Amino acid sequence: MTALLELDGIEVHASGRAILAVGELAVARGETLAVLGANGAGKSTLLRVAGGLLTPGAGELRLDGAAVGAAALRRVSAAVLQRPLLLRAGVAANVETGLRFARVPARERRRRAAEWLERLGLSDLARRPAHSLSGGEAQRVSLARALVLAPRLLLLDEPFAALDAPARAELLADLRDVLAGTGTAALLVTHDRREAAAVADRTAVLEDGRVSQVGATAAVLDGPADAACARLLGFENVLGPALAEALLHAPHPGGAAVRAADVRLRRGGTDGVVVRVLPYDEGPRAVVDVGGARIQADGAGVAAGDAVAVVVAAAAARPLRGPGAVLADRTVGF
Amino acid sequence: MGVLWDALTEAFRLLLTGDRETWEVIARSLRISLTATALALALGLPVGAALALSRFPGRRTVLAAVNTGMGVPPVVAGLVVTVLLWRSGPLGPLELLYTPTAMVIAQTAIALPLVAGLSSAALQHVDPELRLQMQALGAGRWRSLWVVAVEARLPLLAAGMAGFGAVISEVGAALMVGGNIAGQTRVLTTAAVLEASKGAFALALAFGIILLAIAFSVNLVLTALQQHGRP
Repeated sequence: MTALLELDGIEVHASGRAILAVGELAVARGETLAVLGANGAGKSTLLRVAGGLLTPGAGELRLDGAAVGAAALRRVSAAVLQRPLLLRAGVAANVETGLRFARVPARERRRRAAEWLERLGLSDLARRPAHSLSGGEAQRVSLARALVLAPRLLLLDEPFAALDAPARAELLADLRDVLAGTGTAALLVTHDRREAAAVADRTAVLEDGRVSQVGATAAVLDGPADAACARLLGFENVLGPALAEALLHAPHPGGAAVRAADVRLRRGGTDGVVVRVLPYDEGPRAVVDVGGARIQADGAGVAAGDAVAVVVAAAAARPLRGPGAVLADRTVGF
Repeated sequence: MGVLWDALTEAFRLLLTGDRETWEVIARSLRISLTATALALALGLPVGAALALSRFPGRRTVLAAVNTGMGVPPVVAGLVVTVLLWRSGPLGPLELLYTPTAMVIAQTAIALPLVAGLSSAALQHVDPELRLQMQALGAGRWRSLWVVAVEARLPLLAAGMAGFGAVISEVGAALMVGGNIAGQTRVLTTAAVLEASKGAFALALAFGIILLAIAFSVNLVLTALQQHGRP
C-alpha cells in the first residue's frame, strides 16, 4: 500500500511540554486508520496536525511522499468533529458549506449536496432547519458535509461519542460502506475500541502523545503492549507479575492482561473469595478478592461469600511489557 | 392632558406641513447619529472580535475597560471630546468644536464601547470550535471569521441597535460639543431641551415624539433584518 499521508518526527508543544511526539505514522491510500487513546492522550492534536489545522513545532508531514505544509493538507482533507457544529441554516445549505468555500457554482453545489444527502439517507430532511435535527441526524449531516468535498483524507474526531447506541451503530455501518465505496482514506481518533473494531483496517494506540502500538486492528485490540494499553482496550484484569504468576502458573515478568469473561470460578477452591456478583448484559460478573487484590471473573454459578478456585486458560492471558505493568496488582473499574 | 394633546397635534402639524426647519433638524439628527453608529460599528466590531476570539496580554483589562465604557454618561464623553477639541486643546487647530463633525466624534465615542462590548459578548456565544470546523472544510482565516459573524448576526445587529439608540437619544454630549446652533448643530434632543427651557412644552414634546418615531422606524428596519427568515 502506498502511503497517502506520513507523519515523521512530529512534535507539538504546549506550556513547555510535548503533548504530541509521533515518530512515524502513516495512513495508506484508501485505508482507515484508527488512533485509539484515552482523554488527553493527544488524539485531537494529532488529528489537527494531520488536517493542516495546527502546525507542529517539529517534524515533517508528507503527502504522496513529498513534504507539504498545512495549506496543502487542508486542501485534501475534510473533518468531522465530535459535535456536529452546523450553521444556522437548512440541512442542504449546511451540506454545501465547504463547496461554497471552494467557489463551486451553485448548480453543481446543489447536485453534489443532493447526491450525498441521498447516500446518507438524509433526503427527507434536506429542507429542515439544521437546528431542529436530533444528534444522530446532525452528525450524519456533518459527515455528508465533509464527504461532499470528495476529500482524499477524511478526518474523524470522535464523531460517534455523543450518539446513542442505535444511532452510533447505524452511522458506523454507513460510514464503513461509504469509505469502502469511495476509496477514501480516513483517520479516526477515538477512545472507544468498538469504533476502531467497526471501521478501522489498522489501529494505533496513543499514550501521552506517543504511539505505543500500531498494527492490524484485530491484532492490536487483542494484544495490549502494556498495562495502560490493556485498560484502554477493555481488559478488565491487569495483573501484576506476582498475581499473574499465581493465577497463570507461569512467570510473567511484565504482568498480564485477562478479560473477565476468560476468568472462570469454581466453588470450593482456596484461591479467593467472591466479594459480589453484578448483573451485566453479557451475564453475571463476579468481583473476587485474591489475596487482597481484586479481579473480575465470569460470575456464573457463584454467589457473594463463596470461596472459589480461579481458572484462567493460558491462551487467554496477554503477557505485558513495560513499566506500566508493574504498578500494582489491581483491576480496572473498581 | 392638554399639553400632551397639544404636543401630538403639533408634532403631526410639523411633520405633515413639511415645516422646513423641523425636517432639517430630523435629517441632521439622523445623519449625525447614523454616521456615528456606522463609525462605531466599523471600529467596534473588530475590537469586539479581537476580544472574543483571540487571547492576548491585557485582554481582560481591555474587556473591563470596554464594559465600563458601556456605562459612561454621555455628558462625560462630551466633556472629554470638548476638552480635546477646545481651541487650546490638542485637537484645537482642527476647529471642529460646535460642528456636526464634533457631534459625530462624541457620539462615536459613546456608541463604541456599546458596540465593542455587545459584539464581543455575541461572538463569544458562538461555539469556539466552529471556526476550526469551518477551516477543516476549506475556509480561510477570514472566511471562517465571517461565518462566525454570520452565525452571531442576531446579537450583532442588537449591538448596532443599542449603539444607535444610545446616540440618537442622548443630549448631553450633543449640547456640549455641538452647541445647539440653529441651522448647524441643532438636533432633535437639543431642540427639545431648548423649547422646554423656553416653556414651549408642546413643541418640546413634539420633538420628543418625532424622536421616538424615528428611533422606532430605524429599529423596525433593523429588527426586520434581524428576524428575517425566522418564524
